[in-house]
Amino acid sequence: MEKEASQLEKDHVHRVYEKIAPHFRDARYKAWPKVQQFLSDQEPGSLIADIGCGNGKYLHINSQTYKLGCDYCFPLVESARNDGHEVMVCHSLYLPYRNECFDVVLSIAVIHHFSTKERRVRAIKEMARTLRVGGQMMIYVWAMEQKRRKFEKQDVFVPWNPSPPSWTLSNTCSRGIQKSINQKDKRLAMDQHSTKLAGTSKARSSSFVGEKETTHNLFEKSLRWSLFSRSLDSVLDLSNQWHQRELNTFSNCNIQLDELNTGKLFEQIRQGGFMKHISNLSLRCRQNFEDNASEVAVEPGSPMIFHPVPFKSCYSELGQDTKQPPMSPAIIYDCSRVCLPDLLSHQKDVKQQLKIDYHSKQSAFRKLQNRSRTDSSLQDTDNDCSMATRNKQPQRSPNGACLRYYHVFKEGELVELIEHHVPELHVIHSYFDHANWCVIAEKIHVWKI
Amino acid sequence: MKLLTHNMLTSHVRGVRPGGGFPLRIQATEVKVNNVDFNQEFVARMIPKVEWGALLEAAESLGHLSDLPHQLPPEYENNEDFLRKVHHVLLEVEVMEGILKCPDSGREFPITKGIPNMLLSEEEET
Repeated sequence: MEKEASQLEKDHVHRVYEKIAPHFRDARYKAWPKVQQFLSDQEPGSLIADIGCGNGKYLHINSQTYKLGCDYCFPLVESARNDGHEVMVCHSLYLPYRNECFDVVLSIAVIHHFSTKERRVRAIKEMARTLRVGGQMMIYVWAMEQKRRKFEKQDVFVPWNPSPPSWTLSNTCSRGIQKSINQKDKRLAMDQHSTKLAGTSKARSSSFVGEKETTHNLFEKSLRWSLFSRSLDSVLDLSNQWHQRELNTFSNCNIQLDELNTGKLFEQIRQGGFMKHISNLSLRCRQNFEDNASEVAVEPGSPMIFHPVPFKSCYSELGQDTKQPPMSPAIIYDCSRVCLPDLLSHQKDVKQQLKIDYHSKQSAFRKLQNRSRTDSSLQDTDNDCSMATRNKQPQRSPNGACLRYYHVFKEGELVELIEHHVPELHVIHSYFDHANWCVIAEKIHVWKI
Repeated sequence: MKLLTHNMLTSHVRGVRPGGGFPLRIQATEVKVNNVDFNQEFVARMIPKVEWGALLEAAESLGHLSDLPHQLPPEYENNEDFLRKVHHVLLEVEVMEGILKCPDSGREFPITKGIPNMLLSEEEET
């Protein structure tokens, strides 16, 4: 699992940040005021480490203190260096600092990029190691619960666009979009669309043909977000009623949960068949579209910027291919490249409810894979995508957005993580700030008996 | 990389004895000296936080030891002359290009454009 976790982070954190580093000077990457305040409050002569400093936006605060930034991303570190900051390149699980040398440690929007709970705990412990007793650590992570939007799952992929698109949300505010998506007639259109995708009707939905451009785009967007904000473990989530229905279709697809541990599932996922199947399943569920219409994954506190995906191939297939839901193959491929090593941690209770045989699942997957290959247009694009992978590009959607992996935190999750797994830290303060869960913790002496 | 930064750095290669990775030996090919505003209180507060021996060693390897004493003078907080020398060594001397060498394993970490690269390979990670 460690290797998969590390690979996921390489593909969907490190490579993406390297790519987007030049654009990090944008206004949407301003410093959080409470973090600024925390730094300003530190006493003169404090030694402060910013772990995952990015382009160094906190390194200029409080000139009476000495700040050391570090990040995994070379271009971002260079950018910070050019601003005159003391920075270095390192990995936050292996900090090159001696024990207890800092008075303050910052971790702002970093550990939510770690793909397993174990790695997130390790990151916190490693930072705590470098903090002196009595020193304070401030941690900010993205919250799952946000005011204007809702992540349905904790493990998500967030598209990042290099340039604001011509069609942005300045045309329609985010609330407006949600409103229009939830309007009854749109629901009908989506209903008909999803019914068609399930293969029950060949005729193109008349209400759909007549839709205005914006609705078309809105639908595309919700479809896309629906897929992206869904984690790969959604099929295994028994708490969701939708998944119950799908699990019935899955009943002959079995997974030995022990096998998951050995990472065999991840091999399946890498072959792409798994994600294709999930995308098929998600398209068949109208209810999910409605639920997910408001689901967005964007930089917290920033205006939502999203490029409409050219779903042309998707819609041209409407009414023609009743077997294969015409999902944009590049998007499927994007997600299919990803495996989520932390699948199991959410599914402990699944073990009792569902005992499945791994080998039947394998054959079921192969069936699905073969079915998808009958569609030649999908095949062609698959080849294109695999070319991109061979060139080791970060996974991109058709419009060029890079996908960043996030594990968004539930309320209390960060506090619980520290209280249960990091005895050397004592949580002093925890709060919600601009779509982040935040903790200030103090390093305490742990007495070993 | 300033010498105050260097004072915090240690090698974290797998197999290195506890404490064996500090201090990193500096082999500098390019050193820069800047003018940094002197802040007496800042320097005085920083002194107890640094490993004094390591600082001296680092300063010496760069030819900037000058006449810094081996032992901290008593009541240095008010000794402006002393503090200015410390200020110079901690904050004004910068290694722009060079190598940081682990005293235990010999592993070399490069410094490029003032940025140390402390990344480990997979084999070196603990």
